[in-house]
Amino acid sequence: MSEPKIEPDLMRVSWGPQHPMSGQTRILLDIDGEIVHRLTADLGFTHRGIEKILENRTFLQGIIPIERMVMVDTANIGLGYVLAIEEALGVEPPERADWIRSMICEFYRINSHLYAFGLQVEATAYFPAVFLWTTIDREIILDLQEQLTGARWSYNFFMPGGVHADIPEGFQDKVLEGVEYLRGRFKQYWGAMVENAIFEMRNEGVAVLRKEDAIRLGATGPVLRGSGVDMDVRKDDPYAAYGDLDFKVVTEAEGDAMARLKVRFHEIEQSLDIIEQVANEIPGGPVRTRIPLFLRIKPTEVLSRVETARGELGIHMFTDGGMNPYRVQINSPSLRNMYVFERLAELDEILLADVPVVINSIDPWYLDSDR
Amino acid sequence: MPEGVEETFVEAVRAAHPDFIESVEVLRPRRVSLVGKREEFLGLAKALKDEFGFTHPVSAGAVDYLKENRMRMNYYLMNPSSRFMLILGIDLPRDDLTLPSMTQVWEAMSFHERETREMFGISFEDHPNPISLLLPPDWKGGYPLRKDFEGEETQP
Repeated sequence: MSEPKIEPDLMRVSWGPQHPMSGQTRILLDIDGEIVHRLTADLGFTHRGIEKILENRTFLQGIIPIERMVMVDTANIGLGYVLAIEEALGVEPPERADWIRSMICEFYRINSHLYAFGLQVEATAYFPAVFLWTTIDREIILDLQEQLTGARWSYNFFMPGGVHADIPEGFQDKVLEGVEYLRGRFKQYWGAMVENAIFEMRNEGVAVLRKEDAIRLGATGPVLRGSGVDMDVRKDDPYAAYGDLDFKVVTEAEGDAMARLKVRFHEIEQSLDIIEQVANEIPGGPVRTRIPLFLRIKPTEVLSRVETARGELGIHMFTDGGMNPYRVQINSPSLRNMYVFERLAELDEILLADVPVVINSIDPWYLDSDR
Repeated sequence: MPEGVEETFVEAVRAAHPDFIESVEVLRPRRVSLVGKREEFLGLAKALKDEFGFTHPVSAGAVDYLKENRMRMNYYLMNPSSRFMLILGIDLPRDDLTLPSMTQVWEAMSFHERETREMFGISFEDHPNPISLLLPPDWKGGYPLRKDFEGEETQP
């Protein structure tokens, strides 16, 4: 990126990409003393050209690279791609497969939100142990996923037409046990961190994003819902089993860093409810509709939308009758939220010391925004 | 969400701005595709925002149809109350890849237009900050997402 001009009387600090709190991006901070006047994001450090890679893979091979977009949230990303293939093919998965998909997606939403929560606490610089707690609790989820799919991360379990395998015997009881344990842990987190005076001081009223700005700037996911807009693809445009499941769209009105954190926290509770529903009420039947391994899809275009942990992911797939997609346009949620982040310094006063808190409250995933 | 909002929108936009529109159709429930005419594209975008409430920008990107010698630029838009996805497209001949920047209407299209510019070589007039977004500043390899792009082999 060629750097924008710096205004007189401001100092420019180049923050990242090697800074422990910045992630794999560089952020230019134009500061006057302690106050940040302008934020400029320099993206592209993890650009791998996934959209081009997908053009050179068959439809099924593409499931593997696309899950590398967000490693803590592979299930939701992979599902978006698989749904696009299914729609282009005109294949419907069996009901049981839809329910299994919803359960895995919710596990990964919790996984991702836990990571975001741990990082935001770490960004306040007071409580380094919390990130370790959340990492240990994520093990519960990863162990359950390993039993179901055979892999802890990025397991490519979703196939066009269903899922790879049925849930093993006795798995539902283990899920319910895990849910019960996590519920207890989240109560402790809430008491220890969210209602903690120091943590409140560092997060409340920081980087306020008002409702109309969130809509105008194209925010998505917890950033949008933290500003009081109840948009969630799972409700607005139900996919997998979300039409049959009972859950609420969580919003918070304040629009500050704390509101975004609380949205994630309450979403974890909703996800646990969904997982419990799936474990108790999952319908029987097959888990996969057979489709040929080497697909050709007639010329068409489909746009699938899923709600990932970071917001709405859109996969706009164009096919031309060949074995590979002609073009895959990925509408990444992190890129949209990074634009909001760039504008935040104009909307609210941000202090230099708060920048790590602000960026982690937005929770961007740079491999997602760079693709 | 009320049923049939997509059809209502299609009829309303057809009646209000027949001169701005090449084609408009409901692809499936909650997906509407609208292709605008090139001369009136900025006017169409402003009308969609002011008259039809598409205030929430989602994304933008392009597709290269090499055999037909054209590119299709797509803008993805959302109305926060009716909540269906509008794909606003425009066809550009490959030898004249310019269009007015939609940042004049939706500020947040900035990142997406910067990315499309470096990946496809479409230039956006009056873009406030037309620099590359993802590619390195010294990139000289061409436009990677074009269909006639030939990558270089990496050195061993």
